[in-house]
Amino acid sequence: MDVLNDLLGGFASALTLQNLLFALIGCIIGTLVGVLPGVGPVAGTAILIPLTLGMDPTSAIIMLGAIFYGSQYGGTITSVLLNTPGEAASAVTVIDGYQMTKKGRAGVALGIAAIGSFVGGTVATAGLVVAAKPLGSLGLKVGPPEFFGLMILGISLLVALAGKSMVKALLSGVIGLLIALVGIDPTIGAPRFTFGSPNLLDGVSFVAVIVGIFGLSEILVSATAQGSTKSLTGGLRGMLPNRQDLRRAAPAIGRGTVIGFSTGLVPGLTGTVTSLLSYGAESKFSRFRKQLGTGAIEGVAGPETANNAHANSALIPLFTLGIPASPTIAVLMGAFLQQGLTPGPSLFTQHSEVAWAIIASLFIGNLICLILNVPLIGVWTSILKIPHGILLAIIMIFLVVGSYTINYNVFDVFVMILFGIVGLVFRRLDIPLAPLVLTLVLGPLMERSLRESLEISQGDFSIFTRPFALTFIVIGAFVLLTPLLKIRKPAALNVDPEA
Amino acid sequence: MKSTKIAALLSAGILLAGLTACSNTADAAGGASGPAAKSESNWPQKGKTIDLIVAYAPGGSVDTAARVVAPALEKELGVNVQVTNKPGAGGQIGYTALANSKPDGYTIGAVSAPSVVVTPLDPSRGATFTRESFLPLARQVFDPQVIAVKKDSKFEDLGALIDYAKAHPGELSATTTGIQTGEHFAMTSVEEATGAKFNLVAFSEGAASAMAAFLGDHVDIYVGNVSDIVDSGSNDIRVIGVMGAERSPSLPDAHTFKEEGYDVDEGTARGYVAPAGLPEDVATKLEDALGKVIQDPAVVDQLNKLGLPTAYLNSADYIDYWTKQETQYKKLLPQMMADAK
Repeated sequence: MDVLNDLLGGFASALTLQNLLFALIGCIIGTLVGVLPGVGPVAGTAILIPLTLGMDPTSAIIMLGAIFYGSQYGGTITSVLLNTPGEAASAVTVIDGYQMTKKGRAGVALGIAAIGSFVGGTVATAGLVVAAKPLGSLGLKVGPPEFFGLMILGISLLVALAGKSMVKALLSGVIGLLIALVGIDPTIGAPRFTFGSPNLLDGVSFVAVIVGIFGLSEILVSATAQGSTKSLTGGLRGMLPNRQDLRRAAPAIGRGTVIGFSTGLVPGLTGTVTSLLSYGAESKFSRFRKQLGTGAIEGVAGPETANNAHANSALIPLFTLGIPASPTIAVLMGAFLQQGLTPGPSLFTQHSEVAWAIIASLFIGNLICLILNVPLIGVWTSILKIPHGILLAIIMIFLVVGSYTINYNVFDVFVMILFGIVGLVFRRLDIPLAPLVLTLVLGPLMERSLRESLEISQGDFSIFTRPFALTFIVIGAFVLLTPLLKIRKPAALNVDPEA
Repeated sequence: MKSTKIAALLSAGILLAGLTACSNTADAAGGASGPAAKSESNWPQKGKTIDLIVAYAPGGSVDTAARVVAPALEKELGVNVQVTNKPGAGGQIGYTALANSKPDGYTIGAVSAPSVVVTPLDPSRGATFTRESFLPLARQVFDPQVIAVKKDSKFEDLGALIDYAKAHPGELSATTTGIQTGEHFAMTSVEEATGAKFNLVAFSEGAASAMAAFLGDHVDIYVGNVSDIVDSGSNDIRVIGVMGAERSPSLPDAHTFKEEGYDVDEGTARGYVAPAGLPEDVATKLEDALGKVIQDPAVVDQLNKLGLPTAYLNSADYIDYWTKQETQYKKLLPQMMADAK
């Protein structure tokens, strides 16, 4: 039981007053970073690294880690309340989160997001403790062909997001792929569909598209339509998820944990991909899948759990292999290096106490974030007491500032406006928005892994028959075909039978 | 109710127009030399942030070096220095953004040769920048390329690997971070010097994803800088050839290509540049600050820990070095692209 001893030792050093304080400060800053549009976890963590240089290494990493997962909690708040994702990993939460707000259930959405995040984060950290080493090498099994298989599987979930018309869903998905083609070719470096504009070399900004297509188009719709948002039900108790909410959310939280945890192990899969996959899984497997898009609690619980589980399990490749699995983790890796700690296998042999203190602090930090976020729900939701017209203007400010601060480039504001109009047209024509978002995120990853695979095999497609890759592709094909095969599964329910 | 909504939209629209207008005035000020020069003299303004563009994904060697320099530069100049990653296409995306940014001293970039040198030399890349788009401020690092295999590989030394690759051309796969990157140049040099042939696989996301594919046994050979090996902290890697004139202090046991009888000397030179057109006083201030920071023993020490040997050159020497490299690559490139096909 060496592990247990080490972990207890870790708790002993993480539970000092000083380290608890830094975990708390980190959670608060992280929540703010998540709330502020444009300041994502990458920028937030990077900006604060210099402040930690004078600190003791353990405290410094504890605080930066807390900022990182705290931002996953915070990003939800604007997604749910203002229909604008505070950071990309919470983008998909806007779909059902804002619908819940419109039904007066904003507090429930935030509450379930906090609970799900806590569960996902804690389970992922437990995985880190129990089986970091084997899991780390498992992640490495996912090479380019397996990654491609995973992307096929991810894109197949498009079927689940289709709603009423498959043709319209495919249309939406293909438009997303087309947008994803813009930018510099990943293998040979030639510019594609950039029309000579340097602004398009980086591709079309994902966050600007999301902010426009969900946020702005919603404002345009609600400005042209009559009727207003329901006001909140009073009292903190009415805002928190009740037993029925918890029962409905539990399976989604379970699925979110599994998806988030396993994708965190794979270098290159970001929290954004994770939350999208989770949403796709909900629309495929949830018993209430027909309600998704109209304010179903699963649409918030799943992705929010998944992105936090991902945030914590993404530390496994860092701790065991020294490989930063996502941009935020890479920033965290920089912080390690600056503190004289080399993340990787040597971390546990050379700086064992520090490593275990950090792991223990992940448990504590997740708990702090939960305790911090639940009472704050009342504060955040009071934003909704602002009169509707003024609130719309405030949201508009968030949309504009949020898309401007992605690259500090006005071009992205115009992208946001353009996609606001696209979103409006889509809504008028009853074309679902989610497939576009799915292909926009997964498309470039799929292309890159396809081309890397074919370079490895020198053009031989049989590389995709490697066991893992083939498994993913077959499951993807199965998911695609299920509507045709009429596979029996629990019937989709529209109303809760026990309600 | 309806009127408040319209009012809200209107006010938001005005806000947006205001924002656009602001940025337009800023552009105009940057373009006109008179007022610009006047306002630049108090550079760096308190409360402003200097954007340090890194044209590679976070976690690679260029990025980690920049993240050591940024806080030291922050202390030296008294303003925030923020590292911004703009990865893709072997650095072209970030370099283009850098070349197109305003030369006001608030955007500088970390560049890495050969990519920054070679990208404008190949017309098919459609690069919109040239050597003259940048003002080189300081070279920081010369980081040799290495060839590495997994510890459990059957290749104990470089000779065995090269002999195998000669007998089985194109069978062994090797990582690069894209066409015409340092790794591609290095492997082309190796192929030219030895007559061996490798299957090069481009990982455009950068060294971290190449390393993941190598450690996961998806690719046979890792090609990258000394610093990538040191950063990974992995015990599963055997470096069998260093493409530098001397052994690397971070990898004292690894033989050089020269020791093994092959004449290959390839590496990555890294430094800091500003977009061309920087006012002279700002350029001087930046060059001085960077020179101080790069040669600061604490920074040098931290870079050594990362496996990055400091090889400082000031602005004038760096420009000379760059020009020499450019001439050499111009000579090599046609041969290299023919080989790639």
